[in-house]
Amino acid sequence: MKPPAKMSKPTSLFVIFFSLFVMSEAVFEDQVGKFDWRQQYVGKTLFAHFDSHSQSSKKLFLATDKNIFASFNSRTGELFWRHVDKAGPEGTIDILLLHGQDALMVVGGGRLLRSWDTNMGGLNWEAVLDTGSFQAACFVAMQDTVKHVAVLKKAAISLHYLTNGHQKWVENLPDSDTVQYQAVYSGGEEEVYVLGVVPNSHLTIIAYSLEDGEIIKQRSVEAPWLSSVESSCVVVGHGVLMCVDTATLALYALPIQAEEAPQFNQILLQVTPVQPRLEVSPGFQPVLVSSQPHPARSPISEFFLQLGPDHHVLLQLNADGYTIAPLRDFQPAFLVSFSTTGEKTVAAVMTPKNETSDVFPPQLYVHAFLKKDDSVGYRVLVQTQDHALTFIQQPGRVVWTREEALADVVTMEMVDLPLTGTQAELEGEFGKKADGLFPMVLKRLSSQVILLQAWLAHLWKLFYEARKPHGQVKNEVTIETLSRDEFNLQKMMVMVTASGKLFGIDSKSGSILWKHYLENVQPNAVFKLIVQRTTAHFPHPPQCTLLIKDKDTGLASLHVFNPIFGRKSHIAPPALPRPILQSLLLPVIDQDYAKVLLLVDDQYKVTAFPSTKNVLQQLQEMASSIFFYLIRSDQGNLSGFRLRKDLSTERIWEVVLPTEVQKIVAVNGKRPNEHVHSQGRVMGDRSVLYKYLNPNLLAVVTESTDAHPERAFVGVFLVDGVTGRIIHEAVQRKARGPVHFVHSENWVVYEYWNTKSRRNEFSVLELFEGTELYNSTVFSSLDRPHLPQVLQQTYIFPSPITTMEATLTEKGITSRHLLVGLPSGAILSLPKMFLDPRRPEVVTEHSREENLIPYAPEMPIRTEWFINYNQTVARVKGIYTAPSGLESTCLVVAYGLDIYQTRVYPSKQFDVLKDDYDYVLISSVLFALFFATMISKRLAQVKLLNRAWR
Amino acid sequence: MWLHVRLSEVCLFLQAMFILACCFSDMESGPIATSGSVQPNGDRFKIEGRAIVPGVKTQDWISSARVTVEGEEYIGFLRTDGSFVVNDVPSGSYVVEVISPGYKFEAVRVDITSKGKMRARLVNFIKTSEVIRQPYPLQLRSSGPHTYFMKRETWGWTDFLMNPMVMMMVLPLLIIVLLPKVVNTNDPEMRKEMEQSMNMLNPNPELPDVSEFMTKLFSGSKSSSSKAIGGSKCQNITCTSGLRNYCNWSCHGNYNAIFKKSFFIRLYNCFLSRVFFPLSNNPRVCTTLVLCQF
Repeated sequence: MKPPAKMSKPTSLFVIFFSLFVMSEAVFEDQVGKFDWRQQYVGKTLFAHFDSHSQSSKKLFLATDKNIFASFNSRTGELFWRHVDKAGPEGTIDILLLHGQDALMVVGGGRLLRSWDTNMGGLNWEAVLDTGSFQAACFVAMQDTVKHVAVLKKAAISLHYLTNGHQKWVENLPDSDTVQYQAVYSGGEEEVYVLGVVPNSHLTIIAYSLEDGEIIKQRSVEAPWLSSVESSCVVVGHGVLMCVDTATLALYALPIQAEEAPQFNQILLQVTPVQPRLEVSPGFQPVLVSSQPHPARSPISEFFLQLGPDHHVLLQLNADGYTIAPLRDFQPAFLVSFSTTGEKTVAAVMTPKNETSDVFPPQLYVHAFLKKDDSVGYRVLVQTQDHALTFIQQPGRVVWTREEALADVVTMEMVDLPLTGTQAELEGEFGKKADGLFPMVLKRLSSQVILLQAWLAHLWKLFYEARKPHGQVKNEVTIETLSRDEFNLQKMMVMVTASGKLFGIDSKSGSILWKHYLENVQPNAVFKLIVQRTTAHFPHPPQCTLLIKDKDTGLASLHVFNPIFGRKSHIAPPALPRPILQSLLLPVIDQDYAKVLLLVDDQYKVTAFPSTKNVLQQLQEMASSIFFYLIRSDQGNLSGFRLRKDLSTERIWEVVLPTEVQKIVAVNGKRPNEHVHSQGRVMGDRSVLYKYLNPNLLAVVTESTDAHPERAFVGVFLVDGVTGRIIHEAVQRKARGPVHFVHSENWVVYEYWNTKSRRNEFSVLELFEGTELYNSTVFSSLDRPHLPQVLQQTYIFPSPITTMEATLTEKGITSRHLLVGLPSGAILSLPKMFLDPRRPEVVTEHSREENLIPYAPEMPIRTEWFINYNQTVARVKGIYTAPSGLESTCLVVAYGLDIYQTRVYPSKQFDVLKDDYDYVLISSVLFALFFATMISKRLAQVKLLNRAWR
Repeated sequence: MWLHVRLSEVCLFLQAMFILACCFSDMESGPIATSGSVQPNGDRFKIEGRAIVPGVKTQDWISSARVTVEGEEYIGFLRTDGSFVVNDVPSGSYVVEVISPGYKFEAVRVDITSKGKMRARLVNFIKTSEVIRQPYPLQLRSSGPHTYFMKRETWGWTDFLMNPMVMMMVLPLLIIVLLPKVVNTNDPEMRKEMEQSMNMLNPNPELPDVSEFMTKLFSGSKSSSSKAIGGSKCQNITCTSGLRNYCNWSCHGNYNAIFKKSFFIRLYNCFLSRVFFPLSNNPRVCTTLVLCQF
């Protein structure tokens, strides 16, 4: 017995060497940007400011609905810097004000006041505001210099210094329980005015002294028609409050600073001497737009009145402060805006060119500047409904467009690109039936000629391009030139965003090849993208189906499209009158090679799409072997169903997890396109431990309803989806979510928060059948008498995580890695080898031979394992992995706020030459050897000759 | 047979038919305990500190950095001088980290009592209660840029030549090739001289070899296998390495003479064999190698 053990020493050493080699998977510095790219987004713009600090500045500041404050290069649309605050209401940006180099922000519903240095991108100061919901804020100027900012809250007003954020004074607002204070105004005088309203009763104006916050005067004006200052009033000219009343179609003017008891001056719109007569569109709430170019001065006396969705009128307040003069009528006009530079003010009006424009722009920002010849130049930033941000320069030239919808990708798929004509022809040769020897030879020859032709054309192109200067060679990717590459590494990324805009992105370059905006998508809709037909079935076009479901009503609709070109398919999807509970894609294909999609409604009736006769017949034949499951997390109910021949269903099992104790957080099966290459693991003693590869296994994760750190727990149930049998049950005590988990092959990896030790922990469950397989040819859930052996091990993970996914390769030979998204934006590629429940505490001969790493409680995080090096992906929401044509290579897309695409090689590139392969060395060695043999041969001949002479 | 194949086909189909599709019901996981909820009593504290990257201006790195408390539970931003404050943090124990894609910082655990007393200590996830105090307000010094990239294996002539393996191969080869040239073995006088020197080194064949003696000394009783076979022309040569691996071999016929050429050569032979088979205990491997060499 001894000798084999001795002999195994060198092999085990070798294996350890090899494993170290494998573990050192990382990016090389010269690979940066070679096959990876990142696109950064910020989301839908809420506030935008142009940097008017200096004439040549090209900065643009945006605050967005994703709680981001960002600075852009207005020439290129690239980010200078970006600050990502906490997601959710705690980080929402209430207002963004810009003064010189300082940008002021009220964050989190009046929680914090921040001042940013826009030049450096750093924080000047941050001040905590008193509690109370935020209403309004404005700069306050004194003797032409802006030194303070006033923040109006529901029940208090405070004044802060701009230099350090310290509070100058804070005053409680009188009668704040009845009066709704909504606006704050300062016109450069010694006072700050606060406007409040008691709806349909009166308006309250309070003037505070700048110095100490003392109330100088307090007035109340009868205004029974006024319901909100915020939506229907603006300040125009020298402190004149202009309000619009929908009911009487009148404008009301009121001087704010008036000493005596002021009165609203009614100006009836119908009787104004305007041609044509001003009429409000039915059902439209008129809106006023005014502009205060500088906080130290009063607003300009011109203002816009919006009378309908596409009707604006430019009006001017006369010097008397009571009468208005119409300047111009704009119809149609969607958006208006003012912009001031120096003494000149520009009014920008956006008019639609064609009526069919479907992307209505909701926001318009104009920046005017004085040119050298003293004429006014302008730049315009337009935000459209589909979250596209367009920057336009003087002669109406679009400088750049940013698709900010991509900041909120919900789901995605990668679709193979179609073959080119040549490739299809070559493929066709093998697909068609043989028609005689001679035609076959001819076909063969012709295809060879085609190949030769293509190769020569390629060579010519290379030669031609080599002569051109380097910069011009960049060849644009267009839909027409798209074709599959040799190893199927380039794919089409179909991305679905929360705004309802679909994108087709080339995975190699990251350029957007097509986009399609789905209108009437509810903001709370959930999406599921299904690839029904891939590109493999030429001449049938590939087909994707997007299931859009309203979260509240459950009503769903289908959008069928071609994923390569983005065009809507002519196939009419079925009408879905009832809420949809579940959707499942069957491997059954119809005569056009489209996979069948089954939709289960709330009456457990099934709708098939496509529902041709052929499909229905196939479904009837196999109805008894089609199973599916439904989850009712509110009832803690997990149930399995079987299809009947008449496309109704019957319930065959039910698992109830009482909702008083725990709630179902997530349920996950395995990915249908996953391959497992090896059925078992060879152990140190040469026996085989067979994996429990149940394709129907579901991992159900629950969390306790009791949130107390001592009693909280996380449960993991492994349920067979066909029989409802609970295969395994693991409960992690003193743990709480959020739970992230991956279910693949024969293992489940999950991560949770340990409430006792206050750390994140990874736990791995691996299922084995044992050393013998029950039925090695086929797996059937109905015929598996033995429960699998379950091994579990837990590790400490020294960082919280945001998402997790496993790599996926074509045949499953390559070792697996876990891709872990960290809050820092890094994507960690963690070898599955580290998450192996068979990692031994004591190293033995067997474990060493099996290449098991000794158990260590803490999981390492090495920066070399970050696949995206410094290209961090903010707020990683999902990681999508897809196999490529190369077994060693897995395509990875991480999306969140940003999109990052790369390739990973979990076992290094074993099937292609590495890109640092030294051709020079190998050829020089070959040549050297060749010449050495030649020379030595000659020498040997001479020597033989000499010996013969002797 | 046919039936069997058909049956397995059916089974396969049955297996494939079961599709696990993602469910559409509301499955967004969320933490049960939303510790971020605003407490009305205002018992909120702030974590203060300062981050420094030695040798780098603050404006070059602060715009891409931020301070995270317990993942993304609370977030703070860096001021233009590198200092930071994370406001609105309730009492508890938190891991505070400065996250920058360019520079690495050590994480620090900050404990806040319900009265607002602060303490900073090193993060230790294994011994969670261990306290190694850190200064508070936090002083976080970057230990340099992140190492994201692996070094490419470069190839140069010097690397190749200075490789110990190559050195050990090339030097003996030179000696083997050069020594017979320097010392003319065909000269009978020289041969005689050599034999004399051999005898000087090993005057009596009955006496144990020096190396054998050394082996015995080092390996004790285990080396008993390496005793000389009396009467024949063969001789066992034992190479000691000082390590646990040692090899013995017997040499026959003419080789004996060559081995006897000098004590030095013999030693180097052993050395050579050890180089090639560092972990081999098999004597046969050793012998073959030596025979090949001569």
